[in-house]
Amino acid sequence: MTEDDDIDMLAGEYVLGTLEPSMRGVVATRRPDDAALDRAIIAWELRLAPLNALTSSVEPPPGLYAKIEQRVKKLPRARRATVVATTANVIKLERRVATWQRIAGGASALAASLALAVGLGLTAPTVQPAAQTYVAVFQKDDEQPAFLMSIDLKTREVSVRPVTADRQVGKTYQLWIKDDTLGPTPKSLGVLDEGIATTKKSLTGYDAALLQKATFGISVEPAGGSPTGKPTGPALHGFLHPAAP
Amino acid sequence: MQDASTELSYLLRRVAARDTAALTSLYEATSAKLYGIILRILKRRDIADEILQEVYIKIWERAVDYSSERGSAIGWMAAVARNRALDELRRVKPASADISDETLQLRDPGMLASEAVVRNEEYRRMEYCLRALDGDRQAIVRLAYLEGWSREQLSQKFGAPVATIKTWLHRSLKQLKDCLSS
Repeated sequence: MTEDDDIDMLAGEYVLGTLEPSMRGVVATRRPDDAALDRAIIAWELRLAPLNALTSSVEPPPGLYAKIEQRVKKLPRARRATVVATTANVIKLERRVATWQRIAGGASALAASLALAVGLGLTAPTVQPAAQTYVAVFQKDDEQPAFLMSIDLKTREVSVRPVTADRQVGKTYQLWIKDDTLGPTPKSLGVLDEGIATTKKSLTGYDAALLQKATFGISVEPAGGSPTGKPTGPALHGFLHPAAP
Repeated sequence: MQDASTELSYLLRRVAARDTAALTSLYEATSAKLYGIILRILKRRDIADEILQEVYIKIWERAVDYSSERGSAIGWMAAVARNRALDELRRVKPASADISDETLQLRDPGMLASEAVVRNEEYRRMEYCLRALDGDRQAIVRLAYLEGWSREQLSQKFGAPVATIKTWLHRSLKQLKDCLSS
């Protein structure tokens, strides 16, 4: 039996439901990081879906939906945050954005003591080699501005632009990079331009592999930037995400 | 009919965009189907009630993952529901292995009217391929998929060792796959 066969049968039994619980757990855990397994599971779901026609509909008890509605309302705001989509081109990207929200939402390492921040992936302009371009969106909640960041790993140029207009007056936004190899504290990448301008910065001092795995942050600082060289205000964190699947 | 199916896809896209009114409509259109699927696997209404809630919350959170490559909207939602119900079933002790002949019978296609025409072709193909399976294997596939039966339960019912059941399952899956793609 080839490895492909093994994966196919594992996926088939996973969808059928007959894997023993421990193996079922292994498959569920492995799936997000194993594209071949994920594809095989989706294929089996599609293949076996017509069997659902054999199950009759049963009306759920009344009042159940009210509970669902209540629970949905209580979900963290950040998860409901496609409100970031205030500009036309962002709205188009809604789907990918929210996929990345989910990934980011699951990353417990995200900003423990800080407000939950969300990185959103976006499609790259078609003219660009997709794998070179990485994007992240930073958003804390509806009250804070959100930022879109993209990096071209080839030129190592980063651009950050606000996607909501309500930037705080008298405050400066500052971009940071954090990675274990850079030491315990975030390193400043400089302040962002005022208003709705797109800020472009060259990050040629950092290699592409590091940029790809680093955490980026945008903090709210007093006018002019952090007086201490470290983030002092509330910060938003995001991880880069490939701009194409 | 195609329109109704398209409407579900539309509702899912609205749900992905955090439209709670769309979630309400989606629930009205699909909850009986999903509840039927969940209840058939879990057997107990109290548990099924809880799982149905979780499934719609999952749909709310994961609607963004849905695309037409994942099949029909109802098919995708049914996969979310089955998956969650099976997780629950495997977490708690297996449901009673006590089955009546009734569970083996082909039930009324209880699918949404909206899906019926679009899916009928696929269903007929599935039915044809199921019938092509040897002996008990058709029943085994149905019991596993529809009722959530484990290898152990199937082993008891069909008087075959668990390892044999596993072999049967694999052969059945392969045969179904070949037949469905032919």
